[in-house]
Amino acid sequence: MKKDILRLGIALALFAAGACAALAVVYTVTGPTIAGHEREQLQASLKDLFPDADGFVEIDGSIRSSVPDVTVLGSWKAARGDATLGVAIRASASSYGGDAVMLVGVATDRRIAGARVMTLSDTPGLGANATNPSYFVDKAAKTTFPGQFSGKSVLDEFEVKKDVVAISASTITSKALTSIVKEAGAVGSAWLEANASGGSR
Amino acid sequence: MKRMWKIFVKGLVVENPLLMLMIGLCSSVAVTSSVSNGIGMGLAMTFVIVFAELVISLFRKLIPNDARIPIFIIVIAAFTTMVDLSMQAYFPALSKSMGVFIPLIVVNCIIMGRVEAFASKEKPLDAVVDALGMGLGYTWVLIGIAALRELLGNGTLLGARIMPEAFQPILFFTLPPGGFMVFALFISLNLWLKKKITNGAAVREAA
Repeated sequence: MKKDILRLGIALALFAAGACAALAVVYTVTGPTIAGHEREQLQASLKDLFPDADGFVEIDGSIRSSVPDVTVLGSWKAARGDATLGVAIRASASSYGGDAVMLVGVATDRRIAGARVMTLSDTPGLGANATNPSYFVDKAAKTTFPGQFSGKSVLDEFEVKKDVVAISASTITSKALTSIVKEAGAVGSAWLEANASGGSR
Repeated sequence: MKRMWKIFVKGLVVENPLLMLMIGLCSSVAVTSSVSNGIGMGLAMTFVIVFAELVISLFRKLIPNDARIPIFIIVIAAFTTMVDLSMQAYFPALSKSMGVFIPLIVVNCIIMGRVEAFASKEKPLDAVVDALGMGLGYTWVLIGIAALRELLGNGTLLGARIMPEAFQPILFFTLPPGGFMVFALFISLNLWLKKKITNGAAVREAA
């Protein structure tokens, strides 16, 4: 009996070690490419929110969410020379198909510079329309769901179906994404108030 | 050669993992709302099942019977993680749209079932052929279901608009209930196909 357990344990350990070694190889090969993709995507999105900025500086830890539903994952200061143009905040909230992550830009004039959905797993044709570039909440003006936040004042209500147009039949997704933008706007503008030097206030 | 062919084709219709054995259903309904997801999931799963069956068949004499299930899981999980990492590195868009379903290949009953029922007893070459048949059987069903659901539910195929502008997408097909209905249609189609095939074989044998 005792010998048996030992034999099984050793066999299991050997297979686990083999699997580990194989995974380590694959991880080493793919790791840098994956990290590169993430960096590129982030840089592209930051540039997209603040096209005039010439540099982005990561702000470490000083911006935190003030509501329990939204988590701030990272924040960057958009700068042009010495002037601060605004702050970009990456934040997540629980949505219909798991956590949704957005990147929200807040300008020094207390307006949302723009909002982009980074990660969202949702139903195609419904909630996933949040990331569909040809789904318009305002067909005439060709405004997408995240697009409608651009230029909105952070002091607005951010209430779905009042001052935010919902994605049809996807209230949970619409509310989750709106809560991210609202919170990012609030903490972002508070940070700018306290730290922005040379910004236009 | 004929024996190999027999092992291969049984996965396509007569013993189709999804439509006849009725295993691995969750993933098939969950990812089939678009064709690109169906293709990606089918190929990823085929890769994992081929290598898992190969490795386990190669080592089948070294795997102690009492510890076989954990060892199967280690092998399957290792290959699934490899697929996940490679997709993130080389097909980031696909990897994003598949989300959590790639890691969930680990618990896909088809792989576990074939490894336990076939690869742990048969020779490596047979195991690979069996895995290819099962993988393709899974893939064609996924692509078929996804094509119908994407066409009717979204008016597109592989993201390109097929239906005329006036066509109002029937959201029902994108949602889970529609998925189940299309799935049921494929089961009946497969039963019909199986009947044709087995009848044909019976006639040939009688002649």
